[in-house]
Amino acid sequence: MLNTAITIATTLVCISLILNLWRLFKGPSRPDRILALDTMYINSIALIILFGIASGTALYFEAALLIAMLGFVSTAAMCKYILRGDLIE
Amino acid sequence: MNLLWVVLLPLIGTLVPLLTERFGRNVCAFSVALLPAWSLILVLMHVGEIFDGEAIRQTIEWIPSMGLDLSFRLDGLSLLFLLLILGIGLLIILYARYYLSDKDSMGQFYAYLILFMSAMVGIVISNNMIQLWMFWELTSISSFLLISFWSHKPDARKGARMALTVTGTGGLALLAGLLLLGNIVGSYDLDTVLASGDLIRAHAAYPIALVLVLLGAFTKSAQFPFHFWLPHAMAAPTPVSAYLHSATMVKAGIFLLCRFYPALAGTDLWFMIVSLTGLITLLLGAYIALFKHDLKGLLAYSTISHLGLITLLLGLNSDLAAVAAVFHIINHATFKASLFMAAGIIDHETGSRDMRKLNGLMKYMPHTATLAIVAALSMAGVPLLNGFLSKEMFFAETLDQSMLGSLSWMIPLLATVGAAFSVAYSLRFIHDVFFNGEPIDLPKTPHEPPRYMKVPVEILVALCLAVGIFPAYLVGDLLHAAAFSVLANDVPMHSLSIWHGFNIPLFMSFLAMVGGITIYYNRRHLFEFQAQFNEPDAKYIFEGAVQSLIKFTQRIMATLENGSLQRYVFLMLLFTLVMSAYPLFELTQNAGSRPQLPIDGVAITAALLLIISAIATVIWHRRRFLSLIYLSVVGLIVSLAFAKFSAPDLALTQLSVEIVTIILLLLALYFLPQSTQKESSNRRLSIDLTVSALIGCVIGTICFAMLTTPLNSISDFFIANSKTGGGGTNVVNVILVDFRGFDTLGEITVLGIAALGIFKLIAKMRIYVPTRDDKGRPWTKDRHPLMLAMVSQSLLPLALLVSVYIFLRGHNLPGGGFIAGLITSVAIIQQYVANGVLWIKPRIKVDYQWLIASGILMATATGLGSWIFDKPFLSTWFDHFHLPWVGEFELASAMIFDLGVYLTVVGAVLLILANLGKLTTSERVDNKENV
Amino acid sequence: MEAIYAFCVGILTTCGFFLVLRGRTFTVVIGLTLLSYAVNLFLFASGRLTIDGAAVLGQSTEYSDPLPQALVLTAIVIGFAMTAFLVILAMRSRADQGNDHVDGQVPTISNNSAASNSASSNKGNN
Repeated sequence: MLNTAITIATTLVCISLILNLWRLFKGPSRPDRILALDTMYINSIALIILFGIASGTALYFEAALLIAMLGFVSTAAMCKYILRGDLIE
Repeated sequence: MNLLWVVLLPLIGTLVPLLTERFGRNVCAFSVALLPAWSLILVLMHVGEIFDGEAIRQTIEWIPSMGLDLSFRLDGLSLLFLLLILGIGLLIILYARYYLSDKDSMGQFYAYLILFMSAMVGIVISNNMIQLWMFWELTSISSFLLISFWSHKPDARKGARMALTVTGTGGLALLAGLLLLGNIVGSYDLDTVLASGDLIRAHAAYPIALVLVLLGAFTKSAQFPFHFWLPHAMAAPTPVSAYLHSATMVKAGIFLLCRFYPALAGTDLWFMIVSLTGLITLLLGAYIALFKHDLKGLLAYSTISHLGLITLLLGLNSDLAAVAAVFHIINHATFKASLFMAAGIIDHETGSRDMRKLNGLMKYMPHTATLAIVAALSMAGVPLLNGFLSKEMFFAETLDQSMLGSLSWMIPLLATVGAAFSVAYSLRFIHDVFFNGEPIDLPKTPHEPPRYMKVPVEILVALCLAVGIFPAYLVGDLLHAAAFSVLANDVPMHSLSIWHGFNIPLFMSFLAMVGGITIYYNRRHLFEFQAQFNEPDAKYIFEGAVQSLIKFTQRIMATLENGSLQRYVFLMLLFTLVMSAYPLFELTQNAGSRPQLPIDGVAITAALLLIISAIATVIWHRRRFLSLIYLSVVGLIVSLAFAKFSAPDLALTQLSVEIVTIILLLLALYFLPQSTQKESSNRRLSIDLTVSALIGCVIGTICFAMLTTPLNSISDFFIANSKTGGGGTNVVNVILVDFRGFDTLGEITVLGIAALGIFKLIAKMRIYVPTRDDKGRPWTKDRHPLMLAMVSQSLLPLALLVSVYIFLRGHNLPGGGFIAGLITSVAIIQQYVANGVLWIKPRIKVDYQWLIASGILMATATGLGSWIFDKPFLSTWFDHFHLPWVGEFELASAMIFDLGVYLTVVGAVLLILANLGKLTTSERVDNKENV
Repeated sequence: MEAIYAFCVGILTTCGFFLVLRGRTFTVVIGLTLLSYAVNLFLFASGRLTIDGAAVLGQSTEYSDPLPQALVLTAIVIGFAMTAFLVILAMRSRADQGNDHVDGQVPTISNNSAASNSASSNKGNN
């Protein structure tokens, strides 16, 4: 039961990752692309958690934690860049 | 005795003249002579043992790990040369005292001379081929300094350069030859090499090694066709010519032939090359010498001719001939050195060396003239003088060979012709200079030189006479000992006496005398005949060759090194491609025997994302921001790959470095153009793409082959000892802070240095600050959006908590100082981004340089701390404790080390990013509007 | 799986080298970043691929090779320092030379004439 659920979830996350990349391609504006990247981060979190559940280990959850925390920093930095050009002022 | 001192004493003596120069000429000359004299005494103390056929050896370990020893040996041949080098050297020191004028720097001259002397001593007593070669090169360099001693004269500079080029090139060939010999024998030890003659001669590489060694010997000894440098080296002061170019340096090549005689001689190839080269040199030198009007020019070509004679003898592959060669080395050194010194006296006291002006000097300087005449007669091979004895032996040996088959008779004939010319130019030296009317237009009125200037000449001439009359008593033992070490077996019977009865050699001598007198008598016709030819000046040919070589290399350099980084990288890649692809052709199968992992959908998706984004990064590389977004997708997938393939530590590190890199690139991008025009032609693009793709294929293939090959790793040790030895269950972290802690210490030091370098580069950078974005829109006015600021501030404690957590558990679970440091830096950078430098300034008062320094210091101190407990550097200690409420926990010294790593990483990252960010703080135009 | 991994390393290498061959500093830095991904993956691969075998004692039965991981970990951090140094060098070059070409000066000859011109004028023209 769990295995089936994980397989389905993983497939869906993979599809959404590809769709994210599609959005990144299409744009059309820079915020679209940044959002696409941010969503990719979110999907990666899901992927790692699913992988952890599937293999029954908690070793990889910190990686998910880091993506959640640092992905935000990256997105914020990119947004700041298109707004002000200068990150640190 | 200590053989090392024989070479070390003169070497130390190099400094003596520089120190004693100020005390006057006599003191300087005397003090200079002391150490070589001492060295000579050391050598003489062992004459008895050497004459008994012993060889004294001494070895001092130098670089044992490379099999290099300082190794010396003193045998008969070395003894003979040492007597020449040190004995004649002492006479030259005395002579130079009077020769040098007040304008010359005496200290400098003596220093060069003694340096040269040490190098020669080093050559003859070395028992290791590489060591021998080093001293060999030292003679080239010191002789360059000596020839160019009068550096204000263009002739001296050009002559010195020519000598250095020719002998230096020969030296390189010699090195190659010696390395080849060492390779054949398996040892650079001279004793071993000399004892392996049969092995060497039978080896396939023998011809190459022989030619290379001979190139070294022939260039040094001015053998045809490399003879041209010697006459030009006559621009040197005469003591140098007397010492280097008659007695010692040019003999170094001969010494080499003698030294390697047991190992290399005895084959037809040796005979063909050595004897024919010697014969040609003998004839050519003797012929040209006759036409030289310059006194030293005549002597130089005569030297070339006599060196050819010795070479010819060594080439005959006969034991007796080798004995004759050694004998002639002694004789030539004595009479030629005295002749040079006499020529120097004449030059010194008359101001000219031109034999067309110098005439009738017998009247003005009878003493010098007598000495010079005796020496010149010895050169001509007149009986009762030493030159006669070795010439007789030479004639006898040329008769006693049949190497050229039915044409063998030509060798004695040509030898007689050469000897006749030798008689002719000796006669010219005597008759033209000391008789033949009155001097013409001399700059000075000729007179006798100072008393002691003649002493060296007198000693040498006395030797010529004494050896000539009582050969067996004076040099019999020395000759026997030297010949013994040349031949490396018993010396054949030879008799050193003046009279051997009426035989063919005597007849040949007679012929040569008559022929020489005839030639000299008819010299006018010969001079006219010779005048028809335009004598090519070696100087111009050589300089022309050097110039065209320089032009040629400049052309190559201009093509290869045109200042374009792209071309360098391209060439480098192309070379790498060729070198790495070539071995792959021989590999028939890529896949190894290791079972491969099954492919799953996630892997395919991730690979797809990675490939597409990597290609997209390339395609849109001119739209830089877009390219950067794709780059971060690549980084994300790489992190996921690390997580997937069981490397959680790497995944964490890659993720945090990824963010830091993106921030760094965004910071930099602000100051750089946002996009560029297409610059490369399509042809250029496709060539670059082809090369990159080929390299990618090669790397991918290697990677695949590696992945499928079974692993034989040393890591089992780490896994087994991680818990018991390092006190942690996270093996990767234990490796970092414990097993390979020294590497990590080095790495954080590099990180710190890089950060400091960047800090200095940023300082005082004048940068262009764009006021609008790339589409021409003005920047938004809101510098620090409230939402972002609030979220970031609340994120900070959370992030710091995570970083402490990651740090503390690092020893046992994925994490550690590197990752924790990166997380902390990112959290603080986020505050910079959201709130600005001015907001941070009062809140974080830590100086980031100090952070780096204290981190590295802490890590080093942990390592040093283990010395207190008598453990090796960076040994770790750990133990488990129990505290109420907290429970059991572990303390390890590795943790302090990891803390050092943490501090360094935080300091380095913040130093880089914060300083880069601060660049604009004071400069932005709209700063004040928003405050 | 190994084939996919090796293919990805190859692609990253190709893209990295292609960008390194371009003439603008920022592009070269991007190329080097791609290359360092490739290098890190390659080095990591020397420990072979293992799934679900993190080298943490007691967590699994078969451990992956921890040594390449430790090496790559420091390589990633040092790689960042190197990238940062290059970026700053690039900025400094822009500040001092006024352009961001790797040779410090933009080649003067335009593309159209470069093809017809002699080889020597072609030199810095990316």
